[in-house]
This record gives sequence, structure tokens and C-alpha cells, in this order.
Amino acid sequence: MSQFKALLIKEYKEAFRDKRAIMVAMTMALLAPLMIFVLSKTMIREAVETPPIYIKFIGAEHAPKLIAHLKKDNILNFADVPEDDKRLWQERDVKITIPDDAQKMMQEGKPVNITLSADYSEKALNSPIRRIKNSVNQFSQTIGYKRILIRGIDVRLLQPIKLIEQDTALPSSNAMFISMMLGLYLLMAAFMSGLSVAIDSSAGERERNVLEILLCQPVSTLKIVLAKLCSASTISIIGVVLTLLLTSFSVQFVDLTKIGATFSLDAYSVAVILLLLIPISFFASALQLFVSFQAKSFKEAQSTVSMIIMLPTMIPVALMFIDDKPPFLDWLPISGQSLLMEDIFKGVPINWLEVFATSGVTIAITGALVMFLAQRLKSEKVVLALS
Amino acid sequence: MIEVQNLTKSFGDVNALDGLSFTAKDGEITGILGPNGAGKTTCLRTLYGLLKADAGKAIIDGVNVSDNPLKARSLLGIFPDKFGLYERLTAYEQIDYFASLHGLSGKEKKHAIEEIITDLDMEELAYRRTQGFSQGQRMKVTLAQALVHQPQNFVLDEPTRGLDVMSTRILRNHLNKFKAKGHCILFSSHVMQEVAALCDRVIIVANGKLAAQGTPQELCELAGEAQLEEAFVKIIGSDEGVAA
Repeated sequence: MSQFKALLIKEYKEAFRDKRAIMVAMTMALLAPLMIFVLSKTMIREAVETPPIYIKFIGAEHAPKLIAHLKKDNILNFADVPEDDKRLWQERDVKITIPDDAQKMMQEGKPVNITLSADYSEKALNSPIRRIKNSVNQFSQTIGYKRILIRGIDVRLLQPIKLIEQDTALPSSNAMFISMMLGLYLLMAAFMSGLSVAIDSSAGERERNVLEILLCQPVSTLKIVLAKLCSASTISIIGVVLTLLLTSFSVQFVDLTKIGATFSLDAYSVAVILLLLIPISFFASALQLFVSFQAKSFKEAQSTVSMIIMLPTMIPVALMFIDDKPPFLDWLPISGQSLLMEDIFKGVPINWLEVFATSGVTIAITGALVMFLAQRLKSEKVVLALS
Repeated sequence: MIEVQNLTKSFGDVNALDGLSFTAKDGEITGILGPNGAGKTTCLRTLYGLLKADAGKAIIDGVNVSDNPLKARSLLGIFPDKFGLYERLTAYEQIDYFASLHGLSGKEKKHAIEEIITDLDMEELAYRRTQGFSQGQRMKVTLAQALVHQPQNFVLDEPTRGLDVMSTRILRNHLNKFKAKGHCILFSSHVMQEVAALCDRVIIVANGKLAAQGTPQELCELAGEAQLEEAFVKIIGSDEGVAA
């Protein structure tokens, strides 16, 4: 036990004195809340505000009432565009063509063909086109209802079925984009923060010629691996905790009520998320140690381990595209935690069975990696690779 | 006491050790001499329990290394050929680390560390981080970490490589002191003068086998040469081996 204590103290001293490693761990934790804050602000603005749209009218004089109606919805004539936005709207080139006989057709009660032309594949035009369509349809409907009303017919006859939509999403579910990002960031923090400590204490020590003398000491390789694992995962856990705390703090400054969403992380949810992520921190560090102990040099370790960082980003993204999720995804490492975190952010009650299943599987895989690595360090192959 | 009996080890087609036997006694400095690739490092690594011999055994103070490597290692102090340091630790912390790995603790540990620091005259270095230490200073730290637990047996793998005269003298003095206390010292080297000056007995290894052994004087007489270097070349150069 005193041996393990000495190994652990030494690993902690080396890790915490490695300014570069600590910097990397903390940058991740500081950047994540900032990114989430800025992104949510932008998304809310786009969702809530109705910035002016400038379109080129051809034949505007034939339907002055329509033009006036559009103006109320902040859809304006290109002629009035301010100098700053001129280039933008010139490029977007949204046109409405009103035929010469519009007034005549309207008086006769015949349909007026108004043409809206724009590049529908342009993503930035999605919202303007939707707004123009809504506005024109509304105008048309109002006139149509009036015509029917004048003829003494109940307008409701036009609506044999009225669809009532009930959104079963809980209020906080609307903050999906925040929870998606936060979940991803937390997993990345778990994988990124301990990374340089893991590489440094394995491939780094080998390169500095201190690994061989350590293996010659009367201490079991299992203790050596466990001490290194604890040290790297501690840094990783610190990274996760900081990311989580700073994010729940910074999200408070985003006014989500504007888009009818709420997002709050109470102490209970934070605790459950930590419970989920601590095994992931150990798993990530074990995986990194495993790979970098096999590497021949510090450089090789770095490039191989950076591939592992893709895991926490790729798995949750891949999960988004799987609609019918096979049940085993619920308890595999990373995917299990990712799905459970999504539930927590949505406010869905926690499925404790899944929490324990996924944590259990993660811990079991970590344990297997540690045992295998301890065995590997005893093998002649590793010893011969030392020099 | 370190005994090596009929040690055999091959890597693929290469026979690194081919039935090597020798004994390093307590109270003596035993030198292993051999050309590059003779099997010196393989022999020492087998002694540390890092490699497993195909046949034969290594015994340290009665403990068979392959049966109980951890126990055998606790009886050894090792000065490796490439001594790296933990550059973010101070010299004291590094010595403390190795003392703890050897099971020392509390007052006993503190006393052992202070003793070795005084012994090696490294009080000034003790509380500095080892980053940027000179080769001689690094040697002292490595020596201190190997000897802090006062091992009965001390194995050095080419210790004087890259050391200046002053550092070599410190090392030599320390080895003599250690020998006087009745410890067993095994010493591998390329430097003939070093071996001639320091060793009580010399073991010459060639092609994984014992080529000759004896005091430097005996070896010179055996080969009929005045200088150990000439004797060495003659002994490893002959196909039959002068003596086995």
C-alpha cells in the first residue's frame, strides 16, 4: 500500500507540475462554456427576430395593398434597401412579379398569379422565403374569407377538419442544441483533459529512460499502471467538473425563454452527470495509456492517441442519425452515457438500470485494459523495445 | 551474492546467452567485460527479472529471480546504462520515491535519504529539480536512488560512460566504500583501465559464453600479456577460448 501511495504521489507531482498538460486540460473547460454561450445567443437571435427582407417587385403598382401588407411583416422593397445591405440583397436576388392585369383579375374574383423567384437551395433564404410565403398566403386568405362572408356563407365551412397539435416535449426539450453541445463537450473534456498526462507518463517516461529502471524495482506492474491511471483520470475529472460548472453558470446568461425553452441544471442532475462521466474519465485514460504504452516514441503516441479523441465526437454524432437505436447502445461506453445525458438534459426521469449498466460495462472494459496492460509491461517485447 | 548458472537466452536465431555461468561474491567488485553484443545487457536484464532465461537460472542471495522477481529485485540496487531522471521532481523527491518503492517509510526512510545525500556530498543539489542537471549531477542522483535502501547487491551497467574524471572518482570511491562494508558489486564496462583499477575479479564474456575469469593479474598472465586490454583482445579473439 505504501508503495502504491509513493507511486501515486509521484505521478500527481509530475502531472500537476506539468504546466503544459494542465493548460490543455483547463483550456477545454474554459472554451466549452464560451462556445455554448455564443452559439446559443446566435441561434436565439435567428429564431426570434424578424430582420427586414428586401425584395425586387416587378409591377408593384398593380397591387399596392399587397405591398402594404408585406411591409407590415417587415418585407420591404429593394428600392429602399440601406447602403450596407445592398450588396447582400442584390446577390440574394429575391423577386416578386405581379402581372399587369392583377387589379382586373382581383375585381373579377379570378386568381392572380404572383410569381416568387429565388434560389430555394440557398440556406440563408429559408427563413425569408418562409416569411414571404406566409405573408402572401395570409393576405390571400383574408381576402378569400371576406368574399365568402359577403356571400353569407360561414367561413368555418372551409375548414372541415381542424388539426389540434399537442407537443409532448417537456418545456426544456427545446434547448436541444444546448444539450447536444454540452453532452459532446463533456465527453470531449473527459477524453482531452487527461490526454497529455497519460502520454507523458507512459511514452514520455519511456523516452526519458525512466521506465526501465521503474520496471526493475520490486513493485508490481499492476500498481504502476493503476497509479498512472489514477493520475491521468484525476486531471480528466477536474476538466469535466470545470466544464460542467462553468457551462451551467454561463447558460444562465442566455435568455432561453425567448424561444420558449428552459435549460437548467440542478445540483441533482449535475451529480448524476458526474456519476456517469467519472467512469468515462477512467476509461478514456486507460485507453490512452494502453495505446501510448504500445507506441515506440512520444510522437507516435501523440498521433495515435489523437485518433482516440475522435471517439467521443463521432459516436454521439453517429447516434443522431440512427433512428431505431438498437438496445445495446444504451449500455456501451460513450453511447450509453451520451444517451443518458440527453435524457437528463431533456428532463426525462433517469433510468437507473441503464446508468448502472453502462457504468458497469465501462468499468469492466477499463479493468480489462488495466489488467492487460499490466501483463504487457511484464512481457519481454516491451522490455526489448525499451532501448 | 549473485550467482548465474548456465544462463541461455535466444532471440529468434540469435543466441544472446549461451550457457553463461559466473559468481559475484560479497565484499568484492566483479567486473563483466565483453565486446558489444557479447550478451552483457541481456545477462543483466535477466538478473533484474525483466527477461526470462530459456535455460539456467540467476540467483541473488539465494532467491531465484524467475521464481520471485519482486523479492530478488528488493535485494538489488541498480544503476542502469541509460539513467534518466524525473525532471519535474527534485533530487530529494526522486530518492524518496525509490526509497518508498523499496518499502522504506517514516523516520527510517528520512534517515536513509539523509545519509545517502551526505555520503554523496549532494546537499546542494537535493532540493533542486533535476531538469538541467549536469551528467555528473545526474550520476549522483542515480547512484543515490540505487543505494538509498542499502542493497546487499549492487549492479552497474557501464556506469562511467559519459562521466568526467571527477565524477568517475566519486563513483570509484563510493564503490570501494561499499565493498569495504561487505556488499557485492557487479560492474559491466568497456573501459579497461577502469576495470583494472577497480575490480577484484573480472569475467570476460564473448558470444554469450564465459571466455575467462580471474583477477586482472591472472587474466594478463593467462593470456601472456602485460596489459589487460591486450589480454582481453587475445582472450575474446581466440576461437577455442583460453580457458572456460
